[in-house]
Amino acid sequence: MLDYALKKSVQLVVTIFGVVTLVFFTLRLIPGDAASAMAGDTMSGEALELLREQMGLNEPILAQYAAYLRDLVTLDLGQTITTRLPVAEMIGKAIPVTLSIAVLTIVLTVIISIPLGTVAAYMAHKGRARLDNLLTGFAMIVDLMPSFWTALVFLLLFSLTLGWFPASGMVSLDDPAVFLSRIALPVLVLSVTQIATMARITRTSVLEILSEDYVRTARAMGWSEFRVLFRHALKNAALPIATVIGLSFGNLLNGTVIVEFIFTIPGIGNLLINGINSRDYQLVQTLIVFYALLFVTINFITDIVYRALDPRVTF
Amino acid sequence: MLTLNRRQFSSLIAAGLALPQTALAQSADSKTLRVRFYDDPAGFDPANIFRIENENIAFNLFSGLTSYDSRTGEIIPDLATSWETSDNKTWTFRLREGVEFHKGYGSVTAEDVIYSYSRILDEATASPYRGTMAGIVRMEAPDPYTVVIELDAPNGGFLHTVANYHQGQIVSRRAIEDAGDQVRWKPVGTGPYYLESIDVTSQIVLKRHEGYFRGPAPIETIVFDIIKDEATATIALRNGEVDLVMRSNREENLTTLRAEGFQMNSVENYAVALKVLNPEFAPFADSRVRQAIAHAIDYDAITGAISPSLSQGTTSILLPWMPVYSDDIPTYPYDPDRARALLAEAGYGDGFSFRHLGTSAQGVTELQQFEIDFLAQVGLDMQMELVDTPTFNQRRNAGEFEMATRLLPAIDPDLILFSYLHPDNTVPGGLNGARYDNPEVTDLLIAARAEPDPETSFAQYAELQRIVMSELPYIPTYANNVFWPGKPTVTGVNINYLAQVNFFEVDVTVA
Repeated sequence: MLDYALKKSVQLVVTIFGVVTLVFFTLRLIPGDAASAMAGDTMSGEALELLREQMGLNEPILAQYAAYLRDLVTLDLGQTITTRLPVAEMIGKAIPVTLSIAVLTIVLTVIISIPLGTVAAYMAHKGRARLDNLLTGFAMIVDLMPSFWTALVFLLLFSLTLGWFPASGMVSLDDPAVFLSRIALPVLVLSVTQIATMARITRTSVLEILSEDYVRTARAMGWSEFRVLFRHALKNAALPIATVIGLSFGNLLNGTVIVEFIFTIPGIGNLLINGINSRDYQLVQTLIVFYALLFVTINFITDIVYRALDPRVTF
Repeated sequence: MLTLNRRQFSSLIAAGLALPQTALAQSADSKTLRVRFYDDPAGFDPANIFRIENENIAFNLFSGLTSYDSRTGEIIPDLATSWETSDNKTWTFRLREGVEFHKGYGSVTAEDVIYSYSRILDEATASPYRGTMAGIVRMEAPDPYTVVIELDAPNGGFLHTVANYHQGQIVSRRAIEDAGDQVRWKPVGTGPYYLESIDVTSQIVLKRHEGYFRGPAPIETIVFDIIKDEATATIALRNGEVDLVMRSNREENLTTLRAEGFQMNSVENYAVALKVLNPEFAPFADSRVRQAIAHAIDYDAITGAISPSLSQGTTSILLPWMPVYSDDIPTYPYDPDRARALLAEAGYGDGFSFRHLGTSAQGVTELQQFEIDFLAQVGLDMQMELVDTPTFNQRRNAGEFEMATRLLPAIDPDLILFSYLHPDNTVPGGLNGARYDNPEVTDLLIAARAEPDPETSFAQYAELQRIVMSELPYIPTYANNVFWPGKPTVTGVNINYLAQVNFFEVDVTVA
């Protein structure tokens, strides 16, 4: 296990270095820079050059790269190019917001979709396909609904018509009640799609297990159907489900970009889009490194969970 | 694990609704206004400020020597109570006495004016507005309330340069030095409001400057909530979460809000969108081809169909409300037969194909779909070339396009005329994407700006508009209107021709 952790750590460093280098150069390959993005409609020529100079964009690219690596190693994330605010502070404020949305979405998804998928599988196994068809139909429709559309529909329904949640306002962790009321709609929007996917995966996995010999044996031993389903079948179907949860966490971080925009949530998705649009290299670089770290961590956790779920898995 | 019983859930929802309720609960002496702000703020340092929404905040934080009347766009006194010049070259400004900076930074004297403008001129500041001020050769303060500014050449538009608009805004030396590299987030001016707090991803809070030289503003606190999505902003207004929406630019949202009885504050003809034609693309070098394109498209019909509130067709490079605007110019009403005849005359009777630069963010807009259709009817094939926004900006600034669109909001006609028409401003050094270089027009530009006699000056401006609109290096398409829908209780939202609102004029009537 220790060997494994060590090996993983070395891999991590190499991966992050690769990501850092790739991101650094690809960002600068995209035409346009922070100065031209900022100047927009009304400026050009000499004024732009002055701005570039001030933003440090005229330095040789390798010098910029070396300085960036040096700063990164010393954990100095610097200031954003466009706003001159500390990157660490901006990202530090945005992370808890986005993570709260992602974690709550996963929790809500698991609570609803796993029982739903399991029961659907059971019904399908017993030849009573109505719930199963309903679920598959629902999953298909939901999969086809773009999240920006769902977001607007939810906004109209829950915010304007029912008046349950505000459409705008500060998002601050200082007041948990207000915080929850602000992130409720994003969580709901993201959950809808996740639930459809996860319930379908659960259904397929459990259905496969239900025809295994040991399930028949469990039944033959006189266990209740409930126990057979949730103790034996679901537990053995857990591996693919865990994989999907891990993967969907990554998907969710992408998905938050759109809902953060529509619901005006100051999370990292919002920061990333702003950073890319304004060509704020410093901000985007750091965010991508953070995303990479997060993905590697999630994969690591998924591996550990595998082992807990199935002792046959060794590293 | 988070669990909620029904009562907790209700209180959670009530907490969510608490925001709009607090916005409503206000007494006469501590009024709060909540305004939708549409993008993350980029800072408020007059020397390095960008984009209208940031300018609008700065407009309320700072003062210039002059300012603009919100309704007419005329130059009015601000920190200067009066000014004089005999030759448009040496300008003497008399300052208002006893004007206090925010946050205890003392009162304004001539030294502050000289410091503010020297700072713009200082290369170390790297201000993009340095070029605008570059004509200043000498600044003097014969006494603490008089500033004499001498220019290298006569400039009748100099009062625009010192107006309450980026480079013209007066800062405090001590405040700038105290702020260090955070100047953009620590603005200290003399305007009706000061910056109380800012969270760059959610909120900007302005507080009334009690010592404002025109007296305290009617509203004590203005909270700008960042809401980027237009549909969300509309819902926030309908929900009562905000009182006023800064710039609502979707026709369908305006229709909804109008039907529900919201106050549709607006300014018309705020800026002209021009088609920039690159003469290095051979057909566009022929003025008959340019005129044919102008005749081929019916902009009144297009805007009437897709955005009747937000825009209308227009016929000049300048706007009708500008003092130097002349209507004695050739116009190009919709006339496809004339367009075909002009194309044939120019040797393009069989038509040709060209590329129009656009952003992938906007895609092919409804407006452009109509343009393509109108042009096809006279045999012209307009292809949209879509690139991402920074690439678009870069290529447009570099002049790498066959056709592009540009909208240059300005209250100063010289800014528009010099930017588009003076050869010194040819791309990539400036905004003259049509590479226009007509010595007669260049001379007229300089002469008209220098001329102290208003009548002679106007005649020169009129003559140059006539020449430019005959040669048509740029094709005027439509003029934009700006809307700030608000609750009927919010009064005094007068949007000026820079699309800004002076919050000193805004009040909320308490029911």
